[in-house]
Amino acid sequence: MKRTGYLYDERFLLHDTGPDHPESPKRLKAIHQGIKDAGFLSKLTIFQASRADLKWVETVHEKNYIERFEAACRSGNPIFDYPDNRICAESYETALLAVGGILDAANRVLMGKLDNVFCAVRPPGHHAEYDQAMGFCYFNNAAIAARYLQVEWGIQRIGIVDFDVHHGNGTQHIFEEDPDVFYYSIHQHPTFAFPGTGRAFETGSGKGTGTTRNYPVLPGHGDKEYHGLIQRDLIPVLEAFSPDVIIVSAGFDAHVDDDMSDIKLSTQGYTRIMEKILALADLYSNGRVISVLEGGYCLKRLPELGANHVKSLLGI
Amino acid sequence: MFISKVMTRNVVTIDKDDDISQAQEKMSKHLIRHLPVVDENNLLIGIVTDRDIRSALPSSHFIEENGPEEWKRFSTCKIKDIMTKDPVTISPQDTIQDALILLFKKHFGALPVVVEQQKLIGIITVRDLLREFINVLGLEEPGTLMGIIVENKIGQMKKIVDAISEENISFGSILVSRYWDEGRRAVFPYLLTQNIGPLKIKIKKMGFTLLDPMEW
Repeated sequence: MKRTGYLYDERFLLHDTGPDHPESPKRLKAIHQGIKDAGFLSKLTIFQASRADLKWVETVHEKNYIERFEAACRSGNPIFDYPDNRICAESYETALLAVGGILDAANRVLMGKLDNVFCAVRPPGHHAEYDQAMGFCYFNNAAIAARYLQVEWGIQRIGIVDFDVHHGNGTQHIFEEDPDVFYYSIHQHPTFAFPGTGRAFETGSGKGTGTTRNYPVLPGHGDKEYHGLIQRDLIPVLEAFSPDVIIVSAGFDAHVDDDMSDIKLSTQGYTRIMEKILALADLYSNGRVISVLEGGYCLKRLPELGANHVKSLLGI
Repeated sequence: MFISKVMTRNVVTIDKDDDISQAQEKMSKHLIRHLPVVDENNLLIGIVTDRDIRSALPSSHFIEENGPEEWKRFSTCKIKDIMTKDPVTISPQDTIQDALILLFKKHFGALPVVVEQQKLIGIITVRDLLREFINVLGLEEPGTLMGIIVENKIGQMKKIVDAISEENISFGSILVSRYWDEGRRAVFPYLLTQNIGPLKIKIKKMGFTLLDPMEW
């Protein structure tokens, strides 16, 4: 059994998106309940979040954007940048806690105290751009973690695997020109899904040409197609890059019962994806995996998806 | 939308007494395929295209066999000898729809934009139209495309637009395919949101059919 960390903090529930918003605190409660009911809490190193130092957020986001976000939350305005992005007075602090928790998780893995970690955070991050909130995301958690690993830990090569059903436009754009961060995303084809980016011809730019890879999946496809492309493409591509650490942008909205997409992954399909990524990490990254929650909105399925995710990380 | 709003204003032009190699240089430097030919008063007298140049030059195989001096011999040909004189033009007061139909019908890639006495003020190319197409589709804004089948009768679109507006969702664009099936149209709203789950349910409850994305 691996030494797996679990970042969970009830303060992540304070980011209130109002009634009927899919990115609700209930998502996190469902995941936590699933992990608890499966009896995994005693096997995990559970820790709470501490507020991030702003200097790390600034490695990814424009200072003015961070200030705009803080001001918007203070103002009482329920919307930030796009109507999708519902905020409350606590959203800014919650987002800072999520980042802080993830950086703490990274420290624990890099210090060797943990093998891997699941960061069950809200709000999610992968749509957040340098200077713009998008798709329920404010601070790009995974991107800030990658920058932190580079700057604080001097990690050379970082792989980000994003299996949220939506393309992580923010993460891609932030590392587009960085040859040391490989962004690999599998998502529903952008003609049929938000946000409309992540086409196969987007492969990075400048020095980073070739270290961005997008694999759009057509509506209606599921386990078979995902596993085919993982075998055929993701594994050889990441083997060639050989990341020192893998960050997973874990979105569970490609599940067949999640109405956010037309992708039909099964619960077992999700487990198999994670197992493949973990096997890669064992071979090339010393097992170091930092998994960060992105989307996933089916409250009925999130408990089992969360529990299985943690089970895979534990290797049991 | 008027041509004056969409056209490229800083036109790269060429002189009729310049030679082919100068035209080639300009095209590759600016990544373009059309050079309007103007006189000293910036009056349009012709147009030279990438294809005009290629057909005036010997093939690269021929040059390989016969030496680069062969290429020099041809590349010093004058523009005035290969250009199309009095090309088809368009006015800044014409519309983007005019350009679309004209370029399509004539198999052209570009139209010089002129005002009275053939004074060149711009050029409109297929690329300008592509850019506007991306613009009207709203593709550069984050959103989700929906496909809805409706009966071909008055008032259907209003119901859909009302339903979407009630959900407080902004439109990036809305396309209608008029002849989808017999008597039915397909409506494609591009919505500036990630969250279309509740809307999908609502549209279905209203009696509309959502189009299977794989049937688009």
